[in-house]
Amino acid sequence: MRESVAQRLSAASSDNALELRGVTRTFGALRALDDVTLSVRPGERRAVLGSNGAGKTTLFNCITGDFPLTSGTIRLFGEDVSGFPPHERIRRGLRRTYQISLLFGRLSVVDNVYLACRGVSRGRFSMVRPRHDDVLVEAALNLVEAVHLTDAKDTRVADLSYGQQRQLEIALALAGAPRFILFDEPAAGLSPTERRDLVEILGNLPGHMGFIIIEHDMDVALRVAESVTMMHDGRIFKEGTPAEIEEDPEVQALYLGGGNA
Amino acid sequence: MALQANIGTAGLGTGVVERLAWLRRVTPGTWLVVLILLIMPAFAGDFVLFQVFGWSFILGMIGLSLMFLAGYGGMVSLVQMTVAGCAGYMVAIFGDSAITTISLGWPWYLAIPVAVVIATLFGTLSGALAVRTEGIYTIMITLAIASAFFYFTRQNYVIFNGFSGFNGVLPPALFGVDWRQPTAFYYLTLFWAALGYAIVLYVSRSPFGLALQGVRDNPRRMAALGFNVTAHRIAAYAFASVIAAVGGILLVWSNAQVSPGTAGIGPVIDILVIAVVGGLGRPIGPFIGALIYVLLRTFALDVLVALGLAGERFQLLIGLGFLVIVFWSPDGVLGLWDRLRARAERSRDVFRVNAGRGR
Amino acid sequence: MRVFVERHPIWSLLIGLAVVFALWLIFAVWPPAFLDAFGRKKIFLNALLNGITLGGLYFLVASGFTLIFGLMRNVNLAHGSLYLLGGYVGYEFADLTGYWLLAFPAAFVVVAALGVVLQLAVFRRMEGQDLRQTLVTIGISIVLADLMLWIWGGDFYQIEAPSWLSGPVETFLVSGVKRSSGEAIFLKYPAVRLAIFAASMVVGIAMWLVLNRTRIGMLIRAGVDDRDMLSATGVRIQMIFVLVFAFGAGLAGIGGVVGGTFQSMAPGEDVRFLLASLVVVIVGGMGSIPGAALGALLIGVAEQFGSVYMPTYAVVVTFLIMVLVLAFRPQGLLGRS
Repeated sequence: MRESVAQRLSAASSDNALELRGVTRTFGALRALDDVTLSVRPGERRAVLGSNGAGKTTLFNCITGDFPLTSGTIRLFGEDVSGFPPHERIRRGLRRTYQISLLFGRLSVVDNVYLACRGVSRGRFSMVRPRHDDVLVEAALNLVEAVHLTDAKDTRVADLSYGQQRQLEIALALAGAPRFILFDEPAAGLSPTERRDLVEILGNLPGHMGFIIIEHDMDVALRVAESVTMMHDGRIFKEGTPAEIEEDPEVQALYLGGGNA
Repeated sequence: MALQANIGTAGLGTGVVERLAWLRRVTPGTWLVVLILLIMPAFAGDFVLFQVFGWSFILGMIGLSLMFLAGYGGMVSLVQMTVAGCAGYMVAIFGDSAITTISLGWPWYLAIPVAVVIATLFGTLSGALAVRTEGIYTIMITLAIASAFFYFTRQNYVIFNGFSGFNGVLPPALFGVDWRQPTAFYYLTLFWAALGYAIVLYVSRSPFGLALQGVRDNPRRMAALGFNVTAHRIAAYAFASVIAAVGGILLVWSNAQVSPGTAGIGPVIDILVIAVVGGLGRPIGPFIGALIYVLLRTFALDVLVALGLAGERFQLLIGLGFLVIVFWSPDGVLGLWDRLRARAERSRDVFRVNAGRGR
Repeated sequence: MRVFVERHPIWSLLIGLAVVFALWLIFAVWPPAFLDAFGRKKIFLNALLNGITLGGLYFLVASGFTLIFGLMRNVNLAHGSLYLLGGYVGYEFADLTGYWLLAFPAAFVVVAALGVVLQLAVFRRMEGQDLRQTLVTIGISIVLADLMLWIWGGDFYQIEAPSWLSGPVETFLVSGVKRSSGEAIFLKYPAVRLAIFAASMVVGIAMWLVLNRTRIGMLIRAGVDDRDMLSATGVRIQMIFVLVFAFGAGLAGIGGVVGGTFQSMAPGEDVRFLLASLVVVIVGGMGSIPGAALGALLIGVAEQFGSVYMPTYAVVVTFLIMVLVLAFRPQGLLGRS
């Protein structure tokens, strides 16, 4: 299952950050994903769009390893991770946010982010409390500030507002030097101001951090992405730049209601 | 609670300030309790020291083991009392007892660590079996393991001496002290209970403890953050088993004997009752629950007679009391206490506001 | 089953061989060499039939347990107490009326009624709080156990089988050969045990029919699959819950009458049958009636063979089966992953 270091090094230099080949996922008779092949380069910002039931979230679940593949392979930075459990993929630089925030309700904001930092570093089983100048504690505090939650850092997550929880959701994905992030409808339920904030955060991500964003809000998606993949009924049916996609007549007919201002 | 210490006083070395910062969070009420506990032998009788407090500390420790798994880990394990019983049996088998045909007679500094290691191994393996299924099955699986242990020790005569078990299991006379003397036993059990309590409290905010709470709250997210959820759960069982093992050895010493009934289904359920009644939210909960249980046990006869019932209806009392708690305060006595305190604070604030207005 | 054979050819072969061997053991006349190694065939057959009939009893009790869990996610740890209560009530009724058969409906009605009360007064208020429900069932079992101890004391109560069922019956199984004439000796087995096993099979088949061929059965199966969806369809789900809990409890009660006839009723039997139910559903798969049947058969036979051929380690055999299932197929043999 594990390739040698040499193989991994040679693969990494030439390969895509994420590569799916012939990925199929069936639930009984339902083909949620049907022979999906796509690749994303390191640092690329991709949007995956499509109506409900197109298979976007299933795609994410397969990439993270929540669902095993019925067939096909997934390569992360050149390494075949098709058989790896979720936590192994995360430790190779993959991160994900969720449509409905999955947070640790009974812990504080800074505890949540600290766990995210801890998860990909050593000492996960350490029974020694961190000192106040601990590297990971500092990293957690910095992240909390990056998503504008410093004032609420000791609040119990269950007591946060919806918008604050969504911000925390992003912070968890940014912890520990990710190389590739999957954003699952990050703008859902946000106010216009919060959406502008979100676009700013996504735009300010370091250049080497690639991501795929699933969104229903075309505005957000097309503004942050440099390339778009359209899905329908578990298949990819169109790929291109945001401009190309917006002007494509098929896409317009299906999603944009014929013509876009 | 903030991860980092409050660096309020500049000028002092931050290391010292940070290390002592927790002292400031200890309330005067707690200091009073600690003081009373330390000087208890000065005014309490032998019976109270040994039967009430000694037993409460022991049962509290085993209950603490359950609380760690249930409260911080979200796993209600009924195998903790069994782990304690296993440690008790091992200390009798490897150390000294009246059953010289089986006991190996190893010195205490070998027998005790070996007993703790074997019991911890047993608890860890039980955990490994229980954690790969959905949480709700944990109670069932651990109960089944506990009962298998009970039946096995009752039927096996080669290792466990069957129905009679082992008697004459005594603590070593370290420093020339007979540790089963009430005062000595009181301090012995107080020491280990306090140590267990302190360690659990400390570990709860360590990466290990925080990760365990994360696993409790959202195992899927923990996996998506890079944690091996199954490994963490099993590690939690190992940690909890050490505490239960120590409690088990003290339990066996308190009775000077161990038999299948020590870890029978009754005691196994009693530990759950103790932890739930006290409160699964904080480590002090099981000790509160244990004290209530022990007091009830000791004075139940009088209570029952006062109610006009026969003295043997103790289990009925326990069962009804347990039902009352689960119905009206599912987070136990601790939960009740927290709610009363919150209400008192609110009415105090209202009083202040009104007093301010009245001026 | 075809799918299973296709997917697991090696396992199917092994199971097939085991089945053939088992059939030979049961129906063939054992050669003398085998007899020397294995002991008398009569002992083997008795153990087997005891195991199967005990399995029938375990099925009666465990199926109620698994039904209650499957639909209402309620781990009913008071199930053993319901079993014991059924046994005591059955005994009193049979004693009072002199009719053994009347003990069954009496036990069913009383225990089912208690089930209705529990579901309406207690569990309904705690819907969704799985742990709290389980804790309540523990409390109820403590209280019930002590009340029953108070009323009936610590004696052993044995329900007498009726005269028309007492005594052995000659089966078609060959237990040996008459040395003088070479004639086959057929095994004689207590009629009452065979009758009860037949009855539990009837109950099991009836349950399967109700679950799979009636409308209410379909609703129950749908609820087991997805409780929220079912209530969203507007069905009076609370009524179904009460029905299922009452039925499951009633089954435990009937089990009590059976157990009281096979063995006896005494304090401690409640714990024993609760644990048996736990192990049976862990092995067979939670929420699955066929799983309960398979698990009950396995555990019953394993227990009896263990107690006959490995008396000091009988517990280990049952426990080992449970551990193996947990290690390699945690959802149970017929459970859904």
